[in-house]
Amino acid sequence: MPERSNCEAVVRQLWPYLDGVVDESMRERIIAHLEMCATCKSHFDFANAFLEAVARSRSDVPADEELRTRVVQALSAEGFKLSA
Amino acid sequence: MAAAEAHDRAFADAALPHLPALKRVAIALTGNEADADDLVQETFLRAYRHWNTFAPASDCRRWLSTICRNAFLEQRRRESRSTAVEDQELESLAAARLHNHARASGVDHLFTRLDLGPAISQAIASLEPIFRDVVVLADVEGFTYEEVAEALGVPIGTVRSRLYRARRQLQEALLAYAIDAGFASARGPETPPAPNRHG
Repeated sequence: MPERSNCEAVVRQLWPYLDGVVDESMRERIIAHLEMCATCKSHFDFANAFLEAVARSRSDVPADEELRTRVVQALSAEGFKLSA
Repeated sequence: MAAAEAHDRAFADAALPHLPALKRVAIALTGNEADADDLVQETFLRAYRHWNTFAPASDCRRWLSTICRNAFLEQRRRESRSTAVEDQELESLAAARLHNHARASGVDHLFTRLDLGPAISQAIASLEPIFRDVVVLADVEGFTYEEVAEALGVPIGTVRSRLYRARRQLQEALLAYAIDAGFASARGPETPPAPNRHG
């Protein structure tokens, strides 16, 4: 059974870990803890699922040829040449 | 040896008499005597270490006051940074508490089984602009902390603080949405954490 103080120290790094900004030693410590602590792992899984759901919520903007043409024309006026 | 003695004698004669004046300055800056004493000590330590940069003809009290003010500002910046880190860690703890709440409410599967796309978009749109901007750039568009900081013209620490708080607000909103919509059911499958999204 992992110590409660270890759990808190690991959970405090939940967002930085999931964002990949913790240093290597902290990352290894967290991975080792999550391998033996189902409770903490479930917190990380839940937060990670949240991030994936948010990333999936991005609505794709359809290609706007009219806008592209306008931009290219404006660039051309500045000397821009569109290569094939 | 004689040179060192002369150095220390000059420091003692020119700098130490201003200690009471520095104490007044330090109290004005820190607002309390205990912190003021620490600041005065730090000021004189720095002054001693850099005594060779003091021009003997100049105003020693003013020189010391400048050191004192700089030491105070540096200290305050450090404290502000550590407070920011503490806030960020508290947001991580809040995420775990929110998960416990989701589990107790029967919506542990909230983000893995439900199609929350429209609800997420609506929740993001409802955030205050300073929170919405960071979450859109970082979590929807996949910008790194550095890229978000550059785009918004704010420090990385501010990006992190706002991002973590925005995530909490989003999670709270989505949890309330799922409960209100009657999505409570059995637990869903687990997914492995995937770090390095912002590396």
